[in-house]
Amino acid sequence: MTVAGMGWVTPLGNDIESVWRHMLAREIAPIEILSNEQTGARYLTHRVPAEATASLPPHPRLRRASAISRFAAAAGLMALKDLEIDPDRLALVFAISNGGVIYTRRFYSEIVKAGAQSASPLLFPETVFNAPASHLAAILGIPGASYTVVGDGAVGILALKLAEDLLASSDIDACLVVGAEEIDPLVCEAYRQWRLLRDPRQPEIRRGMILGEGAGAVLLRNSGGDLEIDKIDPGSNFFRRAEASGKLSDIVSHLRDSIGFCIGSANGTFIDQAERNAVSSKIPLYSPKVALGDSVGASVLWQLITAAQALCSGQLPGNRVRAGRALVLACGLNQQLGGLTLRQSPHSI
Amino acid sequence: MNPSPPKRVAIVGAGMVSPLGFGFTETLHSLRVARDCVTPVNTFDVEKTRCKTAAQMDDSRLLPGKIRQRRDRRLHRTSHMVINALDELLQQAKDFQPEIAVVGTTSGGMTFGESFYRSLGQGGPCAAAWIANYPPQKQIADALERFAINAPAQVIANACASGSNAIGLAFNAIRGGRYRRILAGGYDAISEMVFVGFDSLQASTPEKCQPFDAHRSGMVLGEGAALFALEDFDTAKSRGAQIIGEVAGYGISTDNHHLTQPNPDGSGPSRAMKQALVTASVTPERVGYINAHGTATIFNDAAEGKAIAEIFGGAAAAAVAGRGGVPVSSSKSMMGHSLGAAGAIEAVVSLLALQHSFLPPNINFREIDPMLDLNIVANESRSAGFDYALSNSFGFGGTNAAILLRKFTE
Repeated sequence: MTVAGMGWVTPLGNDIESVWRHMLAREIAPIEILSNEQTGARYLTHRVPAEATASLPPHPRLRRASAISRFAAAAGLMALKDLEIDPDRLALVFAISNGGVIYTRRFYSEIVKAGAQSASPLLFPETVFNAPASHLAAILGIPGASYTVVGDGAVGILALKLAEDLLASSDIDACLVVGAEEIDPLVCEAYRQWRLLRDPRQPEIRRGMILGEGAGAVLLRNSGGDLEIDKIDPGSNFFRRAEASGKLSDIVSHLRDSIGFCIGSANGTFIDQAERNAVSSKIPLYSPKVALGDSVGASVLWQLITAAQALCSGQLPGNRVRAGRALVLACGLNQQLGGLTLRQSPHSI
Repeated sequence: MNPSPPKRVAIVGAGMVSPLGFGFTETLHSLRVARDCVTPVNTFDVEKTRCKTAAQMDDSRLLPGKIRQRRDRRLHRTSHMVINALDELLQQAKDFQPEIAVVGTTSGGMTFGESFYRSLGQGGPCAAAWIANYPPQKQIADALERFAINAPAQVIANACASGSNAIGLAFNAIRGGRYRRILAGGYDAISEMVFVGFDSLQASTPEKCQPFDAHRSGMVLGEGAALFALEDFDTAKSRGAQIIGEVAGYGISTDNHHLTQPNPDGSGPSRAMKQALVTASVTPERVGYINAHGTATIFNDAAEGKAIAEIFGGAAAAAVAGRGGVPVSSSKSMMGHSLGAAGAIEAVVSLLALQHSFLPPNINFREIDPMLDLNIVANESRSAGFDYALSNSFGFGGTNAAILLRKFTE
């Protein structure tokens, strides 16, 4: 399965090369402090600047769409740029975790505050997990397969696995895989109550995660690109945090052949140590979440694009990495994990 | 490209809990006697909604006896539904070890999310268990853990087609030789937010749910879980597994007409149904029963009815030719719309119809919508032997899915 196109919308920008240069320079996306009107709590976040989706072509489906749909549309269109794909032969797979939470909170808050008769019929359809995928399918005119996969920070691996299964049939020529997420105080509060967020009073202490938002997208085909996803291991669930390291080690053992470096999912939580334990200390390990925050549903797509950039440039932030194959490892906060390997196609080396 | 011929996909076990009953035996009885499972909603305030009813599961049966450990007490009731369904499945397929679970849902443990939000507004304590057990992937993970099944879970959230999409994806993956054993199905539980959401759209009805009827006025919600043990047919045969049916075809389409309304020309459902028939190499005449999506909304039933008549021929023309048109019914008339679970539950209903040679009824039916040309299985179940049953599911986002099931005979 080859990577024919890539696109992302991140708190550090939209252009892949430019964001990559920022990451190599060890820059971190600007921090915005978000407040929760309900609780008074404050959260550190990495937000996507408003201008990031300003150049989206006008489409009726985007008129009322939430930020997550706009991020997804921007990243998806970027991955398809300059490629001629027959929509009839294109499938869409969408990875998501919290989904359209801004409209979900607004919709439910009206019910709680003013009663069921105040519920908005305009907001409700946008709360459904597959609303962003539906908008993107409509923009692209896809009449066939469109799937939304929901999960935690590892959901992107399961989405890519699904894309691999779809491409194995003769029904399609290409599959667009998109991961997207938007930030809302409600989601921040949930992670805070779960004691997983960084303390806004002590941002310099790198314990706890900072949420990010945005989207990542890759266009996959059976052949014809310079980069190949050659193995995907969808892992299995871990039921206690202490099990995460062992399960990640199983994935690393399965995928470790000729690995030059690992793009991991460390985010300041228990995942950091679990991944470090699973990956040999001889293998350079880098998490783009350090620079961009944890975008949960979008994060594996960001990791994949980071791995692609590192393979092609031979660099990681702080490291030279001459390697033909990279490991992308993902561990979520709610029991899911998985991994894949990305390599340069033999003809491109 | 597939290097080898497509493989047959066997059903070697299934499990289901819904308002129709716990397990196959109760469900079969409810279908035969045309039981109306819709009752007044009593778990949240419905004073200000138009619709005040739903088909709800009996928590006194769902929860006791399952709550053995402290950890279990924290689980969402949806998790208990999935655990019950998997328990029944594993009684039928004792040694079934799936390589992956592919399941559909729309809202997972949504009521925990609601509790979390309400407690924030009241300044009260938030239970960490609400947060940890709310996500939609958690309920299948709980069931896998309960039965020590070590498999990843791919959770499809394609609105009301999720359950059918999950079974269809599993079918395609086994058919293409990429997996040998997959656990597939769907689950969902009623929540205030979703209930009020459909009410706000005026998609739900204050009356009875009357699919395809001239007087239909909308849907009612339901809930439940259903799971299938799917296996490569040859592998199942060679190990002597009991085969209870086959998945023979699957179709998916995306209707880009509108976020919540189908294209009135029926082209989306039509494409999905045709694809299901083509993958099975089955002509429409061989299909003996259609378990329709049949939500009883004006728009869904019109689009679906049009597509069915186009592909399978109308009932009126069939009557002139001395035949009945393909029998059609919607299980939602009895047990409401269980959203992400609906496709999987209705696939079990179709499987039971194939196994026991009967047509499940479409209750609350008075007269056919004059714009529709369908042979509705009105109000009572009927005996009928047939080899293929088609189950339709359509959802928000314009997603359409159709699954074709085949009766298994030695």
